[in-house]
Amino acid sequence: MNCLEFRRRLLADPLATDDQLHGHEGTCPTCANFARDARAQEIQLRNMLKQTKPPPGLADRIQLAARFEQRSLLQRRGWYAVAASMLVAISISMLSLWNTAIERRDLALTQSVLHHIDDEAHHLREAHAIPAARVDWVFRRFGARLAEDIGRVNFAAECLMRHKNGVHLVMPGKMGPITVFFMPGEMTDKALEIESARFHGKIVPTDWGSVAVIGEQGEPLQGLGQRLAAAVSWPAHGSAESVALRRGGGSDVDLAVGVGVGVFAGVGVAQQKNG
Amino acid sequence: MTKLRSNFDTLVNALSPELFRFALGLCHNPDQAEDLVQETFMRGWRSRADLRDAKAARAWLYTILRNEHARLYERQRPDVRDPHELPEIAVRGYDTSTEAFVTRRALARLDADYRDPLLLQVIGGFSCREIGEMLDLKTNTVLTRLFRARKALRDQLSEPAQQEARP
Repeated sequence: MNCLEFRRRLLADPLATDDQLHGHEGTCPTCANFARDARAQEIQLRNMLKQTKPPPGLADRIQLAARFEQRSLLQRRGWYAVAASMLVAISISMLSLWNTAIERRDLALTQSVLHHIDDEAHHLREAHAIPAARVDWVFRRFGARLAEDIGRVNFAAECLMRHKNGVHLVMPGKMGPITVFFMPGEMTDKALEIESARFHGKIVPTDWGSVAVIGEQGEPLQGLGQRLAAAVSWPAHGSAESVALRRGGGSDVDLAVGVGVGVFAGVGVAQQKNG
Repeated sequence: MTKLRSNFDTLVNALSPELFRFALGLCHNPDQAEDLVQETFMRGWRSRADLRDAKAARAWLYTILRNEHARLYERQRPDVRDPHELPEIAVRGYDTSTEAFVTRRALARLDADYRDPLLLQVIGGFSCREIGEMLDLKTNTVLTRLFRARKALRDQLSEPAQQEARP
């Protein structure tokens, strides 16, 4: 090792314990002096730097800050959890309200059907069949037509349902009269069951409204609503009403004050049985 | 969590003094140095799961502190060419002797490329290989920089009289 290499290595780490360095130092008095001087300077440098003390409480402040950050994080997570819970609760409530609104709408429709039957219960006593042409005539008032024979009908009239006119039929059944309402514009998402002490039935959804079929308790009604809905070719939703209203002032339409209650309309337009 | 916190507290107690010295050596400002140390440990706290190996954690914290200093304060480093412009610093245990003042001034004048390896060796006690890993340098490069750092210090310290005599 020459002097240049010695000084390069010494200054890279003056306090290093290296046999090669010590070997050269032992043979070169100039480098030995240089080394002594360099080590003294190094010790002075290290002492100066190590005398510096950190500000009092630095470690405590760091630990406190870390705990605060952790607590903030936990609190944030807590708030996120609360917010998420509230969001879920609100969603459930909204869904519940939505479902409740739908249920109330469906309930109102089924009740209006029962009220309609009660209000016009005298039609249930119609015992004589009316001509098919008469039935066909009532449907044609809505722009609808019978695509196939629907069997015996004892009563057929244009009636105000809840908001719009529809077709009111009474047909004979095994347990008693069966009431059928063709209700344009009464849209429902699903088939609705109708139950009362005396009657049972179903409201079947169609693409233009719905068809209600109600009979006495025990009356077999399976599939009747679907068959009747399929038997009538009904115009697109909206056009039936215009046809019926255009005919509203006709000579063979009687205006009568109804006795509907609740959601049922206060004024009914009833077409009396032919003959 | 308790174990991690305990490990973290141990690290803070053990390393905050030397990290403060390192920070002060980088920025020469006690307030900035304290901020640097605190920010460094907060980053460590956020990655506390990775700080299980105390030796690796120590090197990692030094590296973080150096990077933070470069990010926050390197561009604001005061020009200390004139010794009278050295910032007045009052730190507990600070050596106020003339020799210490001159040494600090000489350190402050060092280019960061030479100053950082020197501080890592003197304060952190890291080997040349470890310093090379921390600074992404070859070991021989670290040796050269340490040599040049000390040579520059010696050159400055050997002529204090001339500098003091400057107008």
